Amino acid sequence: MTGTAWQRLRDNGPGIAGLCIVLVFALVAVCAWSGLLGQGWAQVTGGRWESAGPDHWFGTNLLGQDILARTLQGAANAIETGLIVTVFSIFLGAALGALSGWSGRGWPDELVLWIAGVLDSIPFYLFAAAVAYALQGHEWSMHVAMIVTFWTTTARIVRGEVMRIKSREFVEAARAMGLNGFTIVLRHVLPNTLHILVVQATITFVAAIKTEVILSFLGLGVKDGVSWGLMLAESSQEVLAGHFGNFLAASISLFLLLMGFNLLADALQDALDTGKVIR
Amino acid sequence: MPYLARRLLHGIALLLGVTFVSFLLMVYFGPDKTYDLVGKNPTPQQIGEVRHELGYDRPFLQRYGDYLRQLLTLDLGLSDSSGEPVSAMLERSVPVSLALVLPGFVLGNLLGLAFAMLAAWYRGSWLDKLITSASVVGMSISFLIIIIALQVLLCTPYGLNLFPVRGWKVEGLASYLYYVTVPTLALVLVTLGYNTRYYRAIVTTEAERDHVRTLRAFGASPVEIMFRHVLKNSLIPILTRVMFSVPLVFVSGSLLLESYFGIPGIGQVTFNAITSDDQPVLKAVVGLTGVLFALALSVNDLLYTKVDPRLTER
Amino acid sequence: MLKKLQGAALLALLMLGGCGQSPDPGGKVPVKIYRHALDGAPASLDPAQAASIYANFIVVNLYDTLYRYKYLARPYRLQPNLAAAMPQISDDGLTVTIRLKKGVHFVDDPAFARGKGREVTAGDFVYSIERQFDPRTRAQGAWLWQHRIVGLDEWKTRGSHYDEEVPGLRALDEHTVQIRLTRPFPQLAHTLAQGFSALVPREAVEKYGLQLASHPVGSGPFKLLQRDGSRAVLVRNPDYRKEPFDLATEGYDPATQGHLGLEALQGRFPPFVDRLEIEFITEDAARWNSFAAGELHFIKVPVSQFDNVLSQRNPLKLSAQYEGLYHFAASEEAGLIYTNFNMADKRIGYSSDPVRNRRNHALRCAMVKAFDWRRRNEIFFYDIGRVFPGIIPPAVPEYDPAEDRGYTRRDLARARALLRDNHWTADNLPTLDYGFPNSVTERQIFEQFRNFMSQIGYPPEKIRPMIFATYGDYQRAYSQGKVTLINSSWTMDYPDAENIMQLYYGPNAAPGSNSASYDNPEYNRLFERAASMSESPERTRIYRRMNRLLMHDCATISGISRTLLFLWDKHVIMKPDRSFLGGYFLRFVDIDDSAEDEP
Repeated sequence: MTGTAWQRLRDNGPGIAGLCIVLVFALVAVCAWSGLLGQGWAQVTGGRWESAGPDHWFGTNLLGQDILARTLQGAANAIETGLIVTVFSIFLGAALGALSGWSGRGWPDELVLWIAGVLDSIPFYLFAAAVAYALQGHEWSMHVAMIVTFWTTTARIVRGEVMRIKSREFVEAARAMGLNGFTIVLRHVLPNTLHILVVQATITFVAAIKTEVILSFLGLGVKDGVSWGLMLAESSQEVLAGHFGNFLAASISLFLLLMGFNLLADALQDALDTGKVIR
Repeated sequence: MPYLARRLLHGIALLLGVTFVSFLLMVYFGPDKTYDLVGKNPTPQQIGEVRHELGYDRPFLQRYGDYLRQLLTLDLGLSDSSGEPVSAMLERSVPVSLALVLPGFVLGNLLGLAFAMLAAWYRGSWLDKLITSASVVGMSISFLIIIIALQVLLCTPYGLNLFPVRGWKVEGLASYLYYVTVPTLALVLVTLGYNTRYYRAIVTTEAERDHVRTLRAFGASPVEIMFRHVLKNSLIPILTRVMFSVPLVFVSGSLLLESYFGIPGIGQVTFNAITSDDQPVLKAVVGLTGVLFALALSVNDLLYTKVDPRLTER
Repeated sequence: MLKKLQGAALLALLMLGGCGQSPDPGGKVPVKIYRHALDGAPASLDPAQAASIYANFIVVNLYDTLYRYKYLARPYRLQPNLAAAMPQISDDGLTVTIRLKKGVHFVDDPAFARGKGREVTAGDFVYSIERQFDPRTRAQGAWLWQHRIVGLDEWKTRGSHYDEEVPGLRALDEHTVQIRLTRPFPQLAHTLAQGFSALVPREAVEKYGLQLASHPVGSGPFKLLQRDGSRAVLVRNPDYRKEPFDLATEGYDPATQGHLGLEALQGRFPPFVDRLEIEFITEDAARWNSFAAGELHFIKVPVSQFDNVLSQRNPLKLSAQYEGLYHFAASEEAGLIYTNFNMADKRIGYSSDPVRNRRNHALRCAMVKAFDWRRRNEIFFYDIGRVFPGIIPPAVPEYDPAEDRGYTRRDLARARALLRDNHWTADNLPTLDYGFPNSVTERQIFEQFRNFMSQIGYPPEKIRPMIFATYGDYQRAYSQGKVTLINSSWTMDYPDAENIMQLYYGPNAAPGSNSASYDNPEYNRLFERAASMSESPERTRIYRRMNRLLMHDCATISGISRTLLFLWDKHVIMKPDRSFLGGYFLRFVDIDDSAEDEP
């Protein structure tokens, strides 16, 4: 990013707030991964549906498990899911999108578009169920299902950008100089899509977390462990019995994290939006 | 026109791909209704009989061929669960889903566009900031949370208790409004944030263009600028989005709404088919969505070429 | 495509034109509508496929079975339904003769000549049972009569040709059925009260084939008007046979049932309501919401609401706010919930190595001792479930209140000792797969189980969840022996303990209903000996002995019977039931306040 983009980002109040929120959650995730926080999420440490108190800051759920620990572990799960899905799908999407855009109506383009079209046409939840079954209910089935379907959006965008950039003068110049397609794409075209990729990454992160919530709610997501989706699923029954612990903990945390990412995405979009082509 | 021919070929290739992949998924990784249908003390022989009756033991290519034939002739067979003809199930449930989702879909997009245009026109002002923040908030709330919260707030004695908790006994305009309001509200709330944000980005890009700024500086009316210049140029991405979201909203989006509110539409039929391993229904639904999407893609491509001829050159 | 457009256009017209449909076109008499909620949906309404409680519930009201259960008598007792009287059984117990009532007709349907429903005959009964043994029917009830009726299994092997007679299943004349059994079958009449045995006309099967599942043609008290994934609407069958309701015959007990207003039904002709609207609402929250909003007359209260609905547990009393509005009944479910060990899995079950076998036995017993029934009952059954040792639940006469409760009493010290003495450590304990179909409650039950075991040192990562999208997938997995810990619930098909003892009979091992694949020669021998006995002191002794064998082998962690709570509107006169045995009650429902309007 250029200096002006950084400046714009720094001046964007909500964007900075979003960044801070995301960093806090990331910190929580790291702490949970390294065993410092939220370890007792599966243990029954209290009575049924205890309200918030000194022993359990967010109270307990039906079984007597600590909601705070579950929320923190859920945050770690959300971040982990988001990271894995985002990294892989952006990577895959950028690679295939660049390939597709560069070959512009050539057979790689047709092939990639065809695959993308096929994947987009299959109802997502059916696909996720099939993947879960194919992978014998493996922990990663949810991630695989998401990666395999999310890359298409990135690919289409990158493809469009590459096709646009392809016709610009500096590319003609590079070609005239004898550089091969691969080098041109890698060193000159893709860097110009970085701003799109960064924004798309934040959007994908949000989509991944939201999808995980619904998948876990449907039983196709997190298998062994706890996630906000599972907590929401639990809460959908409890809420009408007047027990809001799970619901509030999961929905507020989810809301905050998503809000943080969305603000960050917006700020990045604004900061990079008017960025010109980088030589 | 060779171009149209190519587009047609693409469409067919897409359909073949979709049907093949989804059929593959269903046959090897998907619904197996055998154990649902065997009685309480099945012998291996009985299990084999049921599999045979369900057609699970026929060769893959033969079953795929049958599937293609079924889709082409729209002879979709009978549900493995209820014995009802699949086409009858679709006929009664697709109109319900349309009636359920259309108001929310249309409203969500229109409102989103309206807010986006406001935000773009007054870019940087407090109104813009308000709309932007509101849309970010909207994007950050999960559909699930909205549905649960709305149901409690509007349909139960704990809240306003104005609308039914679930059901779809539609016999006229009044009962239609009675049953469709809460789901529509949920749909609008969940899509508004995204729509506004997306449309705002598009409209803003157009509104920042030099010729628009010039017109604005010369005092042309906002309505004229917005509608005659900005909107027209933003039409493609707007339509793209609408086209792409149509199959998504109507199948996946309605899935949650219909199972939560007990509405017998295509989403509920799909959901029930998934949870009861009902292959014929799933095959039909996947085929339908594939067709819808292929159509959406093709129409979209056509629109692109119509408005921006540059893209047709090699 | 055109039809779909027409459908959409029609809907649009309806929406705009506002042409409403009155449930009582042209009539001024208020229509009595009873609104019921089931916590699940039936898949198929073909009697041959009525395997779930939900399907059975609706099927027995659309079709006729030979027998049913008395509306009000508890324990349940058989009552002739389409049969004219109880079955006549020969001295050797092998020949059963049943006479049918005369003048009963199927509903009018295009499947019949001139569209008029014809009389129900003994031939229809023969046909309906034979259907169960025809693979094309995709029937699920054959297990009830497997190897029981002379010649029936062979008839199936020969190709299920309906024009061939089955020697053991004959219609002696239009209204007499004769069944010849391979061995005495005391539960026969009970099987003829199951939805599976309902009489189906051959014409309808030939005309509709598999679509019979959504197009019922029966002779029962109701007809199907409309049905989809969320609800079914049944209307009174005007041609239903007229039999006056008699309290005494139905087993009325004024002491416990006097407050229900049932005396008003005496002498009248069921069905009493004109229209039944049965909603299928699986989600507890939505069902409760709907009931609380007045959209339903009846609900089986979800456990999450027990706190709200009850003011005290022992004895059960309704909260003050609901006292004046609803009737309330606690019904002990005839069934049990238990967790089986997969005995065919040598990690935890039978092993050819005697040392390992013994150690596995000790491990299982340790897990049985580590299970906290009190906590399980408290969290998931609101403390009103009945815990009992072994597999004989309180609902059956064979239940022994004096049986030693040690099997269900938690004893952590003993459990740990068992592990220690048999050289089980955190390192060498086997990894077990605990299977369950996906749902919030099932997952919570699993996590609780894992917690129980962690308290005797079982590492949580060694009890792995195996989650299935549907119950059918789960059933397939454990029928194929892939699940080590099988959490199940069994609802009795008929009120005879044999239905439960067969759950551990060796030959019924997976894929049969003996999901534990328990195989104890002495248990099997005792089961076979008791097979031809009806309920008697001797059979009771045998069953109790079998129960103790099972507990000694620690083959299952068992068991608890749920107590269901029902609430229903004070204006509705009924004694509701949610079991295979009680689905018949819908025809006896009446609504007191006949000024019942559409909302």
